[in-house]
Amino acid sequence: MASPVFLAQGLRKVYHTGEVDVVALSGVDVEFHEGELVVLLGPSGSGKSTLLNIMGGLDVPTSGTLDYKGWSLTHADEKTLTQFRRSCVGFVFQFYNLIPSLTARENVALITDISRDPMKPEDALELVGLGPRMDHFPSQLSGGEQQRVAIARAIAKRPEVLLCDEPTGALDVTTGLTVLEAIEQINRELGTLAVIITHNAAMAEMADRVLHLSDGHIVKTRSNETRMPVRSLQW
Amino acid sequence: MLAALDRKLLRDIGRMKGQTIAVSLVMACGLMMMTTTRSLIRTLEGTRETYYQTNRMADVFGYVKRAPLAAADRLAEIAGVAAVEPRVVVDVTLDLPGVDEPATGHIVSLPEEKPQSLHLIFLRSGRMPQIGERREVVVSEAFAEANHLQPGDTLAAVINGHRDTLRIVGIGLSPEFVFEARAGETLPDNKRFGVIWMNYHAVAIAYNLDGAFNDFCIDLAPGANAATVIEEADRLLARYGAAGAYTRKDHASAARLNDELRVLHALSVAYPVIFLSVAAFMVNAVLARLVRLQREQIAQLKALGYSSRDVGWHYLKFALVIVVIGTIIGSIAGRFMGEWFVNLYTIFFRFPALDFRMDWSALGLALLISSAAATVGVIGVVRQAVKLPPAEAMRPEPPADFKPSWLERLGFTRWFSPQFRMALRNIERRPWQAVFTIAGLALATGLMVLPGAMSDSLNYLLTYQWNMAQRQDVVVFLTEPGSGKAFHDLEHLPGVVTAEPVRSVQARIHFGPHTRKIPITGTPRGGNLNRLLDSKGNTIVPPEEGIVMSAKLAEVLGARLGDEVQIEVLEGQRAKRTAPISGLIEDFAGIAAYMDLRAIRRLLREDSTINGAYLTVDNARWPDFMREIKDTPRSSIVLIKKEQLAAFRKTTGQMVNTLRAFYFVLAVIVAFGVVYNSARIALSERNRDLATLRVVGFSQREVAAVLLGELTILVLAALPFGLLFGRGLVGYILSAVSTEAVRMPVRIELTTYSVALTVVLSAAVASFAVVSRMLRKLDLVGVLKARD
Ligand SMILES: Nc1ncnc2c1ncn2[C@@H]1O[C@H](COP(=O)(O)OP(=O)(O)O)[C@@H](O)[C@H]1O
Ligand SMILES: [Mg+2]
Repeated sequence: MASPVFLAQGLRKVYHTGEVDVVALSGVDVEFHEGELVVLLGPSGSGKSTLLNIMGGLDVPTSGTLDYKGWSLTHADEKTLTQFRRSCVGFVFQFYNLIPSLTARENVALITDISRDPMKPEDALELVGLGPRMDHFPSQLSGGEQQRVAIARAIAKRPEVLLCDEPTGALDVTTGLTVLEAIEQINRELGTLAVIITHNAAMAEMADRVLHLSDGHIVKTRSNETRMPVRSLQW
Repeated sequence: MLAALDRKLLRDIGRMKGQTIAVSLVMACGLMMMTTTRSLIRTLEGTRETYYQTNRMADVFGYVKRAPLAAADRLAEIAGVAAVEPRVVVDVTLDLPGVDEPATGHIVSLPEEKPQSLHLIFLRSGRMPQIGERREVVVSEAFAEANHLQPGDTLAAVINGHRDTLRIVGIGLSPEFVFEARAGETLPDNKRFGVIWMNYHAVAIAYNLDGAFNDFCIDLAPGANAATVIEEADRLLARYGAAGAYTRKDHASAARLNDELRVLHALSVAYPVIFLSVAAFMVNAVLARLVRLQREQIAQLKALGYSSRDVGWHYLKFALVIVVIGTIIGSIAGRFMGEWFVNLYTIFFRFPALDFRMDWSALGLALLISSAAATVGVIGVVRQAVKLPPAEAMRPEPPADFKPSWLERLGFTRWFSPQFRMALRNIERRPWQAVFTIAGLALATGLMVLPGAMSDSLNYLLTYQWNMAQRQDVVVFLTEPGSGKAFHDLEHLPGVVTAEPVRSVQARIHFGPHTRKIPITGTPRGGNLNRLLDSKGNTIVPPEEGIVMSAKLAEVLGARLGDEVQIEVLEGQRAKRTAPISGLIEDFAGIAAYMDLRAIRRLLREDSTINGAYLTVDNARWPDFMREIKDTPRSSIVLIKKEQLAAFRKTTGQMVNTLRAFYFVLAVIVAFGVVYNSARIALSERNRDLATLRVVGFSQREVAAVLLGELTILVLAALPFGLLFGRGLVGYILSAVSTEAVRMPVRIELTTYSVALTVVLSAAVASFAVVSRMLRKLDLVGVLKARD
């Protein structure tokens, strides 16, 4: 097998809040490979977001190592992390986190303005099926549409990794499916490594690989022989 | 194509236009003051420079009793002297149609054998007198304007006792009379004082000075030392009754101009500093709140790969947009204000042309200073915002840990409604924000005190100077000192009720390294008309031994009560003596020194001479008095109190009123700006809390009470500081604008304080009304649904 995109070893993250220390990750060893679609499952508070945030350079581990394509992110400084986020990673969050004062197109332009070889914002929005609503403000879009703008924004810079933290968490089933389809399509067509957090076990069927987290550990890993198309998922 | 982030900037600004404008306006006020004052400085300095140079303003001035023209040639031989102009200068009484009181004509002779070498006349209209013409004169512009005189008109003058009719052939200006007033007078009275230029022989013969001069001016060669030239000139002219030469520093007109520039320099710093500080506080408040609200957007931007610096720059740009708007408004307004002030200046200062010169460098400086002020206001906020790791910032802000406020901990809780408690706790949670808001409000309140204090001070000055101190109706000065008979004549003019003799003498007062040339006035013991009052309002009587002087003069000399000063009389035997300062007068215009009349006479070795008198005149016989005094040949200067008062009100009074209105407008802008800004910020910070309260069943009114309670606490807390600051500001500004010519006493009436409070409170009420209306339109569900 080719060398992994991400290689995490003994990853620990401890948050200090007031008097108590919260151990969010307690020794995680994991690899992610190019073109994979991975689903992270686990109960609330199990450390999924923490892992994803560290992978995306939004946070740094307390101990352990994390390499991205052979580059160490463990002790990277703020400047390196910014550069890493800017060129390599696309994020999608549960709350779409669009800038309310910018239209869909402009929200995507935020990213295309600063990346080296971006898609046109219009193309990215076409890709998620939002071509006709490009000039609407977030407040004029439904939740699913906003989430798709967020996806378009995440992929417009042609990232190598797409990290999605409960992208369907705030959406109803049908809308959730269209969002997942969009992610799946990006993964398939652009070959982007996609990591999706959910606590919905049904979504595991669409993945190449499923990681179960509990209490800051990866407790189970499962590989699917074949990925189920998103449309056929049931929950 | 505008970058997406800049679009966000524009839209954010669009949403916050009220506040953007409020802050920009406050900033604009400071920048306007700066542009105005700096441009005025540039205008005055530039114009003065050119005028002095082109029309050859002299460097050294002096007068003598009577010196032969040959003595002037000797002056010209002194090393360092470039040119000498000997002249005859006399004051004559003018009889102007339509003016009851006699006016003073200050006659300055024009050389006939050669052209003028110094103080070249700038002709506004008409021509110079023809050589040999005895009656042709040029009159000064301010005087001509005040009396509607034109070339071709005639003028009746009493020249050395003879009534003569002069024909005006030209209207002119001279660099030695930029400030056109009687020597020693601090305010122009253009109706009753004018300069008349006349051919040398015409005046010299009339005053028996043909072939001689009684006044001279010297132009120094570049690099020459004025002090040595003065020393040499005084020595050369001592036997001709020289009264001591002096430099531009003591020259009435030049000194006035200097004073004005000094005042402008002070104002060009003080005001901008205050306004820009307020603006910096406001920028800080606006940005702090914006950044807090956009905490998650910031995290998102960073997740997208924008660096901390990109994000910081984005918010800084917000502040810079405010700066740019402020600078544009400020400099445009400053330009117009400047031009307008220049017009006001022409009341006091006469130049061939006083053309407004914009100080463009002020604009650059303004931009720089206000950017710095804004940056200071923003930097802390932004730094805090970008420091947060994005993962953290993206989580909803944890519920703030509130605790009971210290007032409550002190056990006052029982008396507070829950709303009031919320307000208190909110303030206590962000104490710095509260401090900044209070500081801004206090500055605004303080600024409000200034305009009122200016007129309080002016009123006090007028009452004091004109009602308490000066009780005479008329002051008369004679062209030549006279005997007891002269006093007898004055005493018996029709309508004169009381008369007190005055003997004044030109002198130089030395103390340590400081020296001042000033007339010393001898007043009779037991005199009651011109009262010398100290700072407590007590009358000071000059003792036999001792000198009483303006507190300002003592300050200039660096002397204190009881110090021995050297007095050098500049007339007659040029006697010298020392005298202790036995009293300090609290006066507000000019500087003066007084001695006991007998002491002066002893010093001069005279017994009953006078050169003037204080008179009170029966109102009913005023016209008779006026008619007679106009024809009294030897009375050259007649100062009439009520006329002076009117003139003062017209000139300084008008200036002060204008400035007052101007400062008032500025203060109102700041007061409204600051309160409105605080109210808007409070609203947007609390709207979630407020919406929650509404949802659980609080009424509009109850919810408004939470918000307004907080603001009210801040406003009330700011008021006392504001009044204190206002007092300090008044003290500073008035001392900055105080010159030897006019000093403004610090007086603040209760009404001034009340007006300041009223305006600030009205601003508060108006802003509250706006905010309450917004509160009513609050979209409850929307606010709660939004994750912040
Ligand atoms: N910034 C933070 N500060 C303090 N505790 C945190 C922070 N982020 C996460 N945690 C804690 O770490 C644990 C793991 O959180 P997270 O990774 O968000 O879980 P998941 O995404 O699986 O629900 C939780 O107990 C959470 O409260
Ligand atoms: Mg999570």
